[in-house]
Amino acid sequence: MTQNGGPLVVAVVQFPGSNCEAETAQALRAAGCRAEIFRWNREPRELDVFEAFVVGGGFSYQDRVRAGVIAAHEPIVGRLVGLAGEGRPVLGICNGAQVLVEAGMVPGLAGGAVEVALAPNRMTRDGVVVRRDYFCIWTHLRLGCAPERCVFTRAFEREAVAALPIAHGEGRFLSREPGLMEELAAGGQVVWQYCDPDGSVRDEFPTNPNGSTLAIAGMSNPEGNVLALMPHPERASWLRQVPQDLPGRYGAERRAAQGDVRRLESAGPGRKLFESLAHALQPVG
Amino acid sequence: MPTGLPLTSRLFPVDRYPDDQALAAALGKEGVGLTPFEARRIATLLERNPTLTELHIFNAEWSEHCSYKSSRATLKEFLPTEGPTVIQGPQEDAGILLLCETADGDRWGIVIAHESHNHPSQVLPTEGAATGIGGIVRDVDCMGAHVIAAADPLRFGDPRGEQADRTRWIVAGVVDGIWQYSNALGVPNLGGDVAFDAGYDDNCLVNVVALGILRESEIIHSAAPARAAREHYDLILVGKPTDDSGFGGAAFASVTLDEEDQAFNRGAVQVPDPFLKNVLLMHKANEAVREAAREAGAVVGMKDLGAAGIACCSSELCASGGFGAEVRLDDVHVSLDGLLSEVIAVAETQERYLWAVPRWFTPTVLRIYNEDWELPEIYEGARASVIGDVLTEPRYVVTHHGETVCDASIEDVTAGIAYDREARRREWTEAEPELRDPDDYGAALLRLLASPGIASREPLYRFYDTEVQGHAVLRSGEADAGVLAPLPGEPWGVALSVDGNPRYGRIDPYAGGTNAVAEAMRNVAAVGATPVGMTDCLNFGNPEVPEAFWEFREAVRGLGDAARGLWLRDYPGRPTPFVSGNVSLYNQSAAGNAVAPSPIVACLGVIDDYSRCVTLQLKTPGHLLVLAGARRDELGGSAWYEVELGVHGANVPRVDAEVERGLIHGTIDAVAGGQVRSCHDISNGGLLVTLAEMCMGGWGQGTCGAKVDLDRVAFAGEPVEPARERLAKLFGETGGFVLEVEPAYVEDVLAVYRERGAAAMVIGEVTAEASLEVTAGAKPLLAVPLEAMQRAWGGGLSEALQ
Repeated sequence: MTQNGGPLVVAVVQFPGSNCEAETAQALRAAGCRAEIFRWNREPRELDVFEAFVVGGGFSYQDRVRAGVIAAHEPIVGRLVGLAGEGRPVLGICNGAQVLVEAGMVPGLAGGAVEVALAPNRMTRDGVVVRRDYFCIWTHLRLGCAPERCVFTRAFEREAVAALPIAHGEGRFLSREPGLMEELAAGGQVVWQYCDPDGSVRDEFPTNPNGSTLAIAGMSNPEGNVLALMPHPERASWLRQVPQDLPGRYGAERRAAQGDVRRLESAGPGRKLFESLAHALQPVG
Repeated sequence: MPTGLPLTSRLFPVDRYPDDQALAAALGKEGVGLTPFEARRIATLLERNPTLTELHIFNAEWSEHCSYKSSRATLKEFLPTEGPTVIQGPQEDAGILLLCETADGDRWGIVIAHESHNHPSQVLPTEGAATGIGGIVRDVDCMGAHVIAAADPLRFGDPRGEQADRTRWIVAGVVDGIWQYSNALGVPNLGGDVAFDAGYDDNCLVNVVALGILRESEIIHSAAPARAAREHYDLILVGKPTDDSGFGGAAFASVTLDEEDQAFNRGAVQVPDPFLKNVLLMHKANEAVREAAREAGAVVGMKDLGAAGIACCSSELCASGGFGAEVRLDDVHVSLDGLLSEVIAVAETQERYLWAVPRWFTPTVLRIYNEDWELPEIYEGARASVIGDVLTEPRYVVTHHGETVCDASIEDVTAGIAYDREARRREWTEAEPELRDPDDYGAALLRLLASPGIASREPLYRFYDTEVQGHAVLRSGEADAGVLAPLPGEPWGVALSVDGNPRYGRIDPYAGGTNAVAEAMRNVAAVGATPVGMTDCLNFGNPEVPEAFWEFREAVRGLGDAARGLWLRDYPGRPTPFVSGNVSLYNQSAAGNAVAPSPIVACLGVIDDYSRCVTLQLKTPGHLLVLAGARRDELGGSAWYEVELGVHGANVPRVDAEVERGLIHGTIDAVAGGQVRSCHDISNGGLLVTLAEMCMGGWGQGTCGAKVDLDRVAFAGEPVEPARERLAKLFGETGGFVLEVEPAYVEDVLAVYRERGAAAMVIGEVTAEASLEVTAGAKPLLAVPLEAMQRAWGGGLSEALQ
């Protein structure tokens, strides 16, 4: 509930099997949002008082049938679709991204239709499949759209590079429709792409850690207020969470803060995602 | 009050079999592992023939798994369990070590538990390993803690040996079970270790460790509270509906594995459900009950259901409080009709807990589970049900279908039985081999790096979610121990390492024990944390075989001596305590293949400022390399002997407490002083492999090289021929550390060790050239490109497991 310039309230939607709600709420709070965990069996209308929503990571309904698909048919997600249609921001992280895709919210070209899939990981190098299934690793991402194009990227610079970890078994953006992904990219809906620490997007494992088409890590709806993101920004919201030996700028920042707990407790590369949201929700005037 | 229901007529007529052989046959037919002596003892205690339910309850309670009947006396004799870092020792489901006192005056504890799930994982790897995680997180959760990490020490057969196909199937299955369960639950993996040895061909070892965090004031004990003497307490069973899965599991864990029986025994493995567990555990239903209890002022007891199911849990929960219990099996929610009393009583259906709560609080508990968190909607038949009462009389009474199916002294049920087993020394007859320099040191290093015992574990640990909960500071591979910062905004770090080398245990079980302790502590020290306590999981063969029991006793003696010798850094002279643990015996196949004596130790470390923790990857060219710990002629049990010569040798590394303590405490001081940029302990493969790993970095992303002069490496002990000395320096696994230090601080670091009476010396430097170069004075010994090392080490495990 917006209380005249007061704290901004974000609902972190929780399903049975969610397991990132606590740290997601914490990351939101660190970015200046007020966050509340919202249990799946509450009245869907109770969502209406929140200004923005995060569907977090985990294994909602045990990934039965297909990751995210059962949660996508829950009444509260039905309500989320409506609220997103009014322009309220919705962020899906990892399993949350799978839920948004299964609910047809992303890429959201034709209302409600499932247009892309998050398929099981298939890591390829030199045309050879080198690994499959679940994978947990720190990745680098490059901003694939203009920062102002998406609610969750406004605090980033153009072509910014961030470092976030992934941890999923089904994160490969895939479409049966030829040319659709390229179209989405051209339309600014490909928000994040896996890249090397220097920002060059490459399709090869391990730069592209799951075989995703166009190395897509995050995709938005056409309006830019709904983002399905496979990597976890809440696990990169403090500098201490960044691995010491991570190549590139963020690893160097982490090493430079060695022995300085105050610096390590400051913002990590994922914080800006939540700050973008906080900024977008700031009452005008 | 105990019920007045009539005793069931389903009795096991012990008195009909005066002959032991006939009695043994009758017991076998009933599917219980009790000996004739034990069955007669039960009849004597009851002063009548036992009911079938009683027979099965005692069978489970008196199994090795539950009663420690062979091991208890030995553990008591050797292991220190108390000390200033202990909040709670080994009397309940998990131990608790002191983490810190925060500014608000609260003391925080780290709950630690350590279990094995060896037999189930051998027959059904995925389910066996998954339920291992499931059980250990319940042990931690039921103390009132939030589970923050899990780790897995794994021991598999030879992936290139006689049973290669089976071993690879088991490895893949076990890793699947671990990641599928803990990732879904939301518990990060904080490390673990993997060893391969032909001795595990018939018996893999799947140990599991879990950590939790809590405020000392919010500990929930696994006992019916004292208030139950004055007010009525209900027993509430929560979770999955009871079925017949895991029936006989505790007894199954206490027999040798027979190939023919493996298919049959699959029924004794439980079925995991991380999804239901997630709703119970992860900041969800159980936490809601604990919060409600605190708010309402209800004093409660809680215990998880593990081995021997309802019978074990309810009897121990009530007996620990000095009470009795009455359990009504008719009120237990079940998933199958027609289950026999004994099955409901001892089946090991997963994802269940038992609460003892005051009756006035019962409706709140039922509402939280059944309505707020909708257990019946989450999993068919799951719920919370009141199944019995805490009794003031010390009886254990179970009723079913209008009959009493068990009525025994609760003390008799829970006290178990003890044996004084015979121990007979086993002599190690293998001698040290003749040694000569290899033709090509560089090629030999690459073979070592590619060997399954040393190769990068990345193909396995990338399946594990290390990031969930957001507390990770150091993860698998990055450093010698995993580190978490579990209190947001606070500087405290928690480090965990597990260790145990089967090759040392085989040569000398005592050294297997001392080295497991020293190595687990070294790993924790290498990141800068101070060991504050340990757990042990003791994996051995059949204790009824005197040589096997001797191995067990020797290893435990080693653990105890090392715990006392490597005392707490901040309390000189006070032993590093063992606060929890587990004994797994009968790790032996019917053909007689027993595992190498495998004491596995988990060491918990604490650091007051996690920002000082270091990884093992070299950081900057020009920094100097300091070796802490002189090398000795201790190649026995080394990876060098195994990979290059195919022998064991005899000179296993000895833990000299004074030297080792100086090294471990010196390293903690040095890292805590902020003068160390990277640090790695010397273990598998010796100094050369340690250096190679520091160049490559734990994730194979290193870019620096190193140049080292072997002539600067100190060698202690009796002089030996030059080739042996060179090999012992390069590949001997004598404990020690390599540290990367800025030149300006090298004197400070050397002084730290000097003060602790430990040898330390500069042996070389970090270079910008991407290669590892070793000379003996001016004479070059090897120069191996970084890329070649990364290829061999990075691909070794996948290749062995393909």
